[in-house]
Amino acid sequence: MALLEIRNLHASVDGTEILKGIDLDIEPGKVHAIMGPNGSGKSTLSKVLAGDERYEVTAGEIRYRGRNLLELAPEERAREGIFLGFQYPVEIPGVSNTYFLKAALNAIRKYRGQEELDAMEFLQLIRERAKTVKLDESLLQRPVNEGFSGGEKKRNEVFQLAVLEPMLAILDETDSGLDIDALRTVADGVNAMRDDERGFLVITHYQRLLEHIVPDTVHVLVNGRIVQTGGKELAEELERSGYALFDDEAA
Amino acid sequence: MEAVAETQSVYRQAFDAGDGGRPAWLAPLRRRAIEAFEARGLPGPKQEPWRKTPLAPLTGQSFPVADGGGSVSPELARRVGELAGEAHLLVFVDGTLDTGLSNLGEPGRGLTVVPLSEYGDDAPAAVTDRLGSGAPIAEQPFAALNTAFFRDGAFVHVARGQAVARPVVVVHVDTGEADDRAVYPRVLVHAEPAAEVQFIEHFIGADGANTLTAPVTEVIADDGAIVTGYRLQEAGDGDLHVGTVHVAAARDAQVALHAFATGARLARTDVHADINGPGADVTLNGLYLTRGRQFCDFHTWVNHNAEHGTSHQLFKGVLQGRSETVFDGVVRVAEGAQKTDAQQQNRNLLLDKLALAHSNPRLEIYADDVKCAHGSTVGELDDEALFYLRSRGIGPADARAMLTLAYASEMLQPIRLQAVHDHVRGRLLEWLPGDETVRSVI
Repeated sequence: MALLEIRNLHASVDGTEILKGIDLDIEPGKVHAIMGPNGSGKSTLSKVLAGDERYEVTAGEIRYRGRNLLELAPEERAREGIFLGFQYPVEIPGVSNTYFLKAALNAIRKYRGQEELDAMEFLQLIRERAKTVKLDESLLQRPVNEGFSGGEKKRNEVFQLAVLEPMLAILDETDSGLDIDALRTVADGVNAMRDDERGFLVITHYQRLLEHIVPDTVHVLVNGRIVQTGGKELAEELERSGYALFDDEAA
Repeated sequence: MEAVAETQSVYRQAFDAGDGGRPAWLAPLRRRAIEAFEARGLPGPKQEPWRKTPLAPLTGQSFPVADGGGSVSPELARRVGELAGEAHLLVFVDGTLDTGLSNLGEPGRGLTVVPLSEYGDDAPAAVTDRLGSGAPIAEQPFAALNTAFFRDGAFVHVARGQAVARPVVVVHVDTGEADDRAVYPRVLVHAEPAAEVQFIEHFIGADGANTLTAPVTEVIADDGAIVTGYRLQEAGDGDLHVGTVHVAAARDAQVALHAFATGARLARTDVHADINGPGADVTLNGLYLTRGRQFCDFHTWVNHNAEHGTSHQLFKGVLQGRSETVFDGVVRVAEGAQKTDAQQQNRNLLLDKLALAHSNPRLEIYADDVKCAHGSTVGELDDEALFYLRSRGIGPADARAMLTLAYASEMLQPIRLQAVHDHVRGRLLEWLPGDETVRSVI
């Protein structure tokens, strides 16, 4: 069974159609990349998958592990194993990173009928995962993303990914604003989580990230539609030729 | 409004029929107060500072002074002890001293904590010179009524240069026996030059009692004194709380007042702060949490009468249900109060569609070399932040509670007394919407 099946997905925001018929399958254990120019609908797709209610699905369907995803609220999707790494992680003054993650992890574990972690187990887990993404431990006690640099915010997203261990991870432009060292760290964090079960949807504007997180499949999204699908070499090709070719095609 | 005229005369009649404003040392002050009240009358809806306050419950009936010393339920007795700890504790029940619940312990060096009733007919100049020196009896009719009628009160005095380690706690308890009666709590805090003291005023009461509670607190900080006050208004759900606080800060004095309001059916607190000496610093912080049909109102007047003074005000409200709140603040910088730095912020978070927050920060500046800023916001929880939390598996109720807690927590940070911090935080957690998940994590 496919992890994720998207059929003829149409979605609008404020009455403007952004996604105009997306078809996409992700098998367990695979990394799919979506590339495309600004405004092509990449972020909209990620928000729709995570359940952001500001985006309206007007047609089509999404099945996640055989279930109708569109019936689920955002928190239910998260508890079922979907994770979205935000392009612009939200600052939450007054809520510490640790407290936030503990609430999230316990909500997910409770949903799955697992015991909540006690304080010691939780602390051990987050310390270990912080190390894997080279997240400064001092950031754990700080309010979520508040005053974090761009790179720290993205690292924090991948840190949350490592703690919450989803089945399907959607990374929305996690590479933007990262220097090469930070990019490597983030990629290493993601690669460490690749296994036969977990699927990834990596959304990026640049081919650079895909040198470090090597995808199984690359899709090109232009003007709300997937206009080409290929192997990892498609990313390299795009880097050379740009999206101009597809713009014509989409028009 | 004949009722108003009648109500007025009722208070005057009660005063005249009483024991002439005893004790003797208070008689002149009491007489001035009832005359000021009589001249001013009860507030009316057309008077600017009272426009938004629902007056009917306050003026539609008269409230005879409570007998005092009502019976304290075990639940209220437990709450009396909540903030006491190692502190000096004075407890007033329906306006009179409860010696059994009070505990003065060992007096600290240079510290005087005395119930005013202890002075009998002859109080020292330390009291008579200062009691009533700040309370705005001409402008605030309920401060005038308090001055005319209060039964007892607390006098807190710290001698020159002494720093008192343990806070002074004054608890005002209203029992069910004060239903349809008035209670007039009274506190005077005087810190001599370079003295330092912290005090807590805690208002609690039985639910369901229609009591007019009209406290007056006067704080006098001499040159270089440091006074920190915490005012916890957790009155019963039928209470009508109309409080007045007056602060006088001399040269280089630092006065901070942290107000937390969660109780009462109708709560109004007027804070008047006079910066009278150069370099004085006044901080007024407030957090109000309302729900149901509660009404909560903070009016502040910060008067910069001297140069190089600083004032910081931050009032935050969180509103549920159909509750309504008012923040109305005036910062007045007098001519000659150069180099004043005055900040005033009011922020409100509406958790329900029918909640209503009024915000009216104002500046009146008569000096030309000053730094003043004010601002106000009324908003809802941020959708983007809510989605972010939910996308991590946190349910909507808990996400809202978590963001609300984060919003209100800013007001807990400046609390230096751990017992007060924990108490207010506990109160806040109890009050939050949402289920148990959030509480279990914190």
